[in-house]
Amino acid sequence: MKILRYFFDTAFRNIRIDKWANLLTIISISIGLSILCAFVMITFNMDSVIQRWSNSFGLVVYLNQDISKETEASLQKRFQQDSDITEVTYISKDVALEEVKKSLGTNAVLIDDFNKNPLPSTFELKIKSSLLDPLVIKKKAADLKTLFGVNDVLYGEKWLSSLSVIAKTMKLVAIVFACAIFIATTFTTYNTIKIFFYRRKEEIKTLKLLGATNTFTRFPFLIEGLFVGITGGVVSALFILGLSSFTTLKVVEFMPSIKAIMAPFPLQVYLLIPVTGAFMSLLGSFIAVGKIRY
Amino acid sequence: MIMLADVKKSYDNEVVLQNFTMTVSKGEFAFITGPSGAGKSTLLKLLYCYEHADSGHIAVDNWIVSQLKIRTVPYFRRSIGVVFQDFKLLCNKTVFENVALALRIHNMEPEEITKRVIAILKEVKMHGKADVYPQYLSGGEQQRVVIARAMVTQPMMLLADEPTGNLDAENTRTIMRLFREINARGTTVLIATHNEDLYFGSGSRVFFLKDHHIEKEIIG
Repeated sequence: MKILRYFFDTAFRNIRIDKWANLLTIISISIGLSILCAFVMITFNMDSVIQRWSNSFGLVVYLNQDISKETEASLQKRFQQDSDITEVTYISKDVALEEVKKSLGTNAVLIDDFNKNPLPSTFELKIKSSLLDPLVIKKKAADLKTLFGVNDVLYGEKWLSSLSVIAKTMKLVAIVFACAIFIATTFTTYNTIKIFFYRRKEEIKTLKLLGATNTFTRFPFLIEGLFVGITGGVVSALFILGLSSFTTLKVVEFMPSIKAIMAPFPLQVYLLIPVTGAFMSLLGSFIAVGKIRY
Repeated sequence: MIMLADVKKSYDNEVVLQNFTMTVSKGEFAFITGPSGAGKSTLLKLLYCYEHADSGHIAVDNWIVSQLKIRTVPYFRRSIGVVFQDFKLLCNKTVFENVALALRIHNMEPEEITKRVIAILKEVKMHGKADVYPQYLSGGEQQRVVIARAMVTQPMMLLADEPTGNLDAENTRTIMRLFREINARGTTVLIATHNEDLYFGSGSRVFFLKDHHIEKEIIG
């Protein structure tokens, strides 16, 4: 404990001495984290929009014309028991005909000429959003098609693949962007700590000659890096919180539609920002002090 | 006890020490002298492990210095006290903090650190300037602080590199008196100097360095 106290005293004394360089690093880290958070926020909101779109996705199972009531009932039971399916809607051939008539309006007389209802009964199935992958859905549709009494299975194949491409691209861009910010922030701290270390080279040399271990000379620098990272993270979290509150309170006034697509950050995310800052800075400091030879 | 056997040390093909053999007994007070560039400072650097010998054996008490692993070096250095030619006092720390630093490295209790630092500063007559920064001290005062820092850990051996190089006669006498007092408590003292006034009439062994090895050994 006594040695820890010395490390903290030394670190905070050094922070005071190099206050401007530390302030610049804190600003750099908070800008980096804020850009990252703003991007995550956009991605998060876009994701909720995509999620909403995907909720409207469904498979339509067309049944054979001559299917018996018993087979229809057994199929319905099977669909309801399927864990991949979240909602099952049965549309009888009579209801389907009525809907077609409604949509045709005055042209509905064309259908009256048919002696027999040409439309099949159908099931509309909603699939779990986590399974909305083109290949998974294709396989699911093929499986359903093999069931007794099923004539065909149709779904918006192109719509689904477009949605999938958008979601995947967004995730990829988010990952690349997050990696770039991560490297930039880590490098910023790395550079700062390395400069501090070289500036105090003579002091460290003296400490080593007096018998100090590497841990003894390096620990205060790690604390300094940790402090800079946490402070940068807190500044960034406050900025993002302010930005989010501003958007919710002010932007909604003249753009009410934005409220429908806005998904606010959970509180944990705001706590996670300083932790991320601390982790990145600590990593940068760790590499910096580890790479220095004297 | 200090023992160097057949030691060779060179910098970029320029030989500084060769076939160098020397022994200093435990509790002895000895001098090493010679012209500038003879290798006095290099010899001390080899002893406190700042430099590594190209070949040969170096031992200090129970430590085989020439075979020390990097991880062990700090622990070895804690067992010796060094008075550096350029003082190596930290200008952002007060006299008290500079001396206390050596004990902090030993992970000593704060109360014990305070007690020991005050005692050693009294001994070198620097307790009145405990809160002063080194840059506001004279050369003689700085030298006394360095001696206090080297001695506060009660090392088995004290190495001093030109400890009176920039001091006037009175300060030189004070410093030498301190070294004698330290030695009287059982600490081995080895002083590198080119000032013959220090060793003449001292009754101590003096090693003369020339042409990379000890040319002669006399009683001063």
